[in-house]
Amino acid sequence: MAENPDNPIDEEIERSTGMTRDEAILAQQDRIQKEVEDTNPLVSERLPLVVLKEEYQADPVYSKKIEDMYASFPYIRKTRGDGNCFFRAFGFAYMEKLLTDKAELHRFKETIEKSKDTLIALGFPSFTLMDFYDTFMEVVNQIEEKPSLSELLATFCDQGMSDYLVVYLRLLTSAELQKEADFYQNFFEGNRTVKEFCSQEVEPMYKESDHIHIIALTSSLGVGVRVVYLDRGENQRANHHDFPEGMPPQIVLLYRPGHYDILYGE
Amino acid sequence: MVESRAVAMLRRQLTELNKNPVDGFSAGLIDESDIFKWEVLVMGPPDTFYDGGCFKAHLVFPHDYPLKPPKMKFISEIWHPNIDKNGDVCISILHEPGEDKWGYESPAERWVPVHTVETILLSVISMLADPNDQSPANVDAAKDWRLDYQGEFKRKVKRCVRKTEDM
Repeated sequence: MAENPDNPIDEEIERSTGMTRDEAILAQQDRIQKEVEDTNPLVSERLPLVVLKEEYQADPVYSKKIEDMYASFPYIRKTRGDGNCFFRAFGFAYMEKLLTDKAELHRFKETIEKSKDTLIALGFPSFTLMDFYDTFMEVVNQIEEKPSLSELLATFCDQGMSDYLVVYLRLLTSAELQKEADFYQNFFEGNRTVKEFCSQEVEPMYKESDHIHIIALTSSLGVGVRVVYLDRGENQRANHHDFPEGMPPQIVLLYRPGHYDILYGE
Repeated sequence: MVESRAVAMLRRQLTELNKNPVDGFSAGLIDESDIFKWEVLVMGPPDTFYDGGCFKAHLVFPHDYPLKPPKMKFISEIWHPNIDKNGDVCISILHEPGEDKWGYESPAERWVPVHTVETILLSVISMLADPNDQSPANVDAAKDWRLDYQGEFKRKVKRCVRKTEDM
């Protein structure tokens, strides 16, 4: 039955689709999501930066700024825009570095091993926590034993594995915020506590990342990240910012309003 | 691959809950061959009108649990602002992030993948004692709760409690 039999639009939708208006909207949202999943892998191959310009053909501001980036960043690796893109882009770009940097890998492994105890001390249920930790370590160990770019990419494109990695990165971010709550509290407007912010904006999947997430994660892991900003701003060239402040960047991410991808210098 | 992780995690939780039961609820499977469908018995929290009741509910886990939350449905009749008349539990932590299609959900706590059966049930028990009347799933129960707590609300809850005693 139509939701509102007096509404001719609802009647028309029901006649043509056999669904009520709300059902039809949900079905369409599902179709759109399916299409996004089919056309955008969670993490793409490394592509020439010109693919980015193709997205903005009719846009002189963006086109110009992208052209100016060709020399510094000839390649891009895109991530799917599902709200997890910062964590996925960071995770992939950094682990890709680890494929060829044994010393850094060793340091990272020690950091992650310690992180588990911090998370348990903060009160996360060890039951579920250990599952995410074990999966994360499995991937790190795999990089150590058999460093393979194609396998790393396959791991990050497998929805289940990839999401498990994102969950753990979100937990690390939450732990850092809670550990250094006195410092991070200053970033919040209103009277939200750090704990509330973490359970509402950090730990749930698909919640987009803000500067505070990036500062917390990069500080907690001691990994420098440069973020290049591509927006409609007045400036002729894309700006950039390094996180945490003052640390030499190991990886470069591209930010467009609402989305993060990975950039490559060579 | 995701599914086998979900199976392993649910099995571990079931074993653990049987070995070390948690106050306030007990848990088992509806059908021994399906780890994704649980039956739980929730004790009415002390110092509430639900005290003395033993409410049966089902938890149905998606195959990508714990990335996605389970659904919870009371099988026993229960009168509560955040449980709809079909028994479906509407509590913010059982909603997927982004799952706000009907726009009634406040930006409260969301599902996070570290939740376990235990943390879910503890939230549900705390919801029984302390309803959220901002987004009621049972509008009539919310009205009773707000306007006639010691009268109509108590009477309907007590009737549900008695029904579970007859089971």
